[in-house]
Amino acid sequence: MHHVFAAMIRTPKLLLPALVPSWNFFNVIGASPRIEYTLLKSPEEPAGDWREFRPRPNRVPLPAMLGRLFWNAWWNETMFVVSCAERLLDEPTEHSENEIFRRIAADFDDCPEWNGAWLRFRIALLSEHENRIAREIAFVSDPRRVVINTVR
Amino acid sequence: MTLDTATRLTEVLLALAFIQQSAEHLRRFRDEQVLFLARMALCVLVILGAMTPQSLTSWSLAPWPLVGLALLSLVILHRFQGPFNGGSDRMGLLALWCLTLSECLPTEKGREIAFGYLGAQVVLSYFIAGWVKIVNPDWRNGRALRQVFAFSAYPVSEGVRGWATQPAILHAMSWAVILFEIGFPLTLASRPTLVVGLAVAGVFHLANACLFGLNRFFWTWPAVYPAIIWLQGRLF
Repeated sequence: MHHVFAAMIRTPKLLLPALVPSWNFFNVIGASPRIEYTLLKSPEEPAGDWREFRPRPNRVPLPAMLGRLFWNAWWNETMFVVSCAERLLDEPTEHSENEIFRRIAADFDDCPEWNGAWLRFRIALLSEHENRIAREIAFVSDPRRVVINTVR
Repeated sequence: MTLDTATRLTEVLLALAFIQQSAEHLRRFRDEQVLFLARMALCVLVILGAMTPQSLTSWSLAPWPLVGLALLSLVILHRFQGPFNGGSDRMGLLALWCLTLSECLPTEKGREIAFGYLGAQVVLSYFIAGWVKIVNPDWRNGRALRQVFAFSAYPVSEGVRGWATQPAILHAMSWAVILFEIGFPLTLASRPTLVVGLAVAGVFHLANACLFGLNRFFWTWPAVYPAIIWLQGRLF
């Protein structure tokens, strides 16, 4: 009952920005998050080998760009994870952290050897400082167990 | 373009845009598959309802699939605790709720206000985006757009990110974007200027889709262009 009431209270907060939009796209270019993750054999193992979550390719040919007009699921999900990282830094919620864990872990569904491993992620913030790209680690998660699941 | 024609055309285009978005959610997670299969089914009903001749609308499905889509949009908002893809999803929500309200209101005046609000918001979406840029010195001198390419999450490849090393081109591009966005309301002056303005807007969204992967904007914004075309005819 409390859950339903909380959802009802939250609905206007979620819907109103769409019905009365601000439209201030790219008004200020702020620091940009990058997600990095590491897989560990145990939760106590020190994290060392951080890898970028879904690094960009060097090139995307024009036909592929045009094809992505119709099917861009991978990229749009990556942008949602970036949004979750921004939300996690602005207003931390379990939802944002869960979504990031869930979507990183799902990328290992074809790697059964990682079943039972421990996953951590961190958020690096990139910004411009004195005409150079500066980088700082803004968040490091606790480890969670990876459960390989072909049907999610 | 009559209100009825513009409304139905927007419904069909928006439903097609929603079907494209929804299909992208079907590949992995079971809970998303359930939500977005339901949304695709409702979109098909919206298209069928919108294509039913006006003389048969007494028994047609409209507006109930739209009401269903509007209610489902709340469930989806809660599922992702906000829009899945920022501005494009917000425009989709705005269009959906304006169309639903327009279809449900009992008077012609009420329908016009609901649909006109959508058209006005599309015009504002360009104008305000241009205004917030022109008042920002970093946009006027090209630095902001260089930063978008240099370190934002949007460039689709390292090759596109390399455009950050072309400050003269990005300075020119910044002003092209600012002038297009802030000048968009002037295109409402006549039907031919509006057609030109919408064509330029289409190219703008195509470039954003290719360079930054923003394909949802490319489908969602043009889906609501009939609202601007109707509003222009209604006002001028």
